[in-house]
Amino acid sequence: MARVVRSKGGGDVGFNMTPMIDIIFNLIIFFMLISQFQQLEIEDVVLPEAEAAKILDYSQYRNIVINIIKGKTSSLDAVVKVMGREMNVLEPYTRPDGSQTVGGELTAYLVDAASKGDKANLNVILRADADVPYEDVARVMLAAGAAGIEGWWVTTKIPESEQK
Amino acid sequence: MRSTSRKRESVKIQPPMTPMIDCIFQLLLFFMLMPSSAGREGYLTTNLPKDTGPNPRPPEILERLKIDLLDEGNEGVGVSIVLNDTQSLGDNFAGLRAALEGYRAQGLQPTHPILISPTMAVRHKFVVRAFDAAVTARFTNIHFAVPR
Repeated sequence: MARVVRSKGGGDVGFNMTPMIDIIFNLIIFFMLISQFQQLEIEDVVLPEAEAAKILDYSQYRNIVINIIKGKTSSLDAVVKVMGREMNVLEPYTRPDGSQTVGGELTAYLVDAASKGDKANLNVILRADADVPYEDVARVMLAAGAAGIEGWWVTTKIPESEQK
Repeated sequence: MRSTSRKRESVKIQPPMTPMIDCIFQLLLFFMLMPSSAGREGYLTTNLPKDTGPNPRPPEILERLKIDLLDEGNEGVGVSIVLNDTQSLGDNFAGLRAALEGYRAQGLQPTHPILISPTMAVRHKFVVRAFDAAVTARFTNIHFAVPR
């Protein structure tokens, strides 16, 4: 009589790797995008085009992104936003010594940011809508100048032809 | 002795397609998003007006190239370029770039100061285009005029 030996079915218990890889990819994409947007706090603006614009590494600086958003009804009611907060640049800013200068809330914010760390490492990035009048950009420039900031980056869109 | 005839069942091996498609979509999404977020935006670097800070500096004595941008039309939708108070270029930014490259060819140093002076209603995109023309002509010392 033939004896039937049953194998105990002790096959390898393997992990299903696919969903794990899947989740890891998801997390990588999530954190990469979130960290990028968190660092820059960018607003949705239509940027002007510039052929000479370069892709620069901003990660080594303490970045402050100043967004100038075009008004909904007219280009004349532009809004200045930093870290999602609307900033007033029309009011004067009073220095600790009592003297006054331009820039209001924005100058106060930039002076505070400059005092909190290495000022040389502070990088101001302007993201202004292509259609805002220069008046609004000039106000922001004056505010940054009043806070003692000299260098800054103007964000532009690189034309398709330059990307290739 | 008994001979056993075993039935050979034809087993169809079908790999699970769902997770594979899932992973492919993830990769697709990753490679689609990465170049778009990193490659579309660039920066032009400049200096802010130096005489507006807490410690005003004396104005530079060097004779600088001046690019006036005058608003044209309603709410500055158009622009008119004037180079050095004399050369009117209309809205020809390619002409501005060529003129600046001409100055460079004549021996003007890259560090020669350039002042971009737009009127208040000129749109930001025109200011950036003038800035772009100056950078493309390999000038590095570019400033903006702002009203007091």
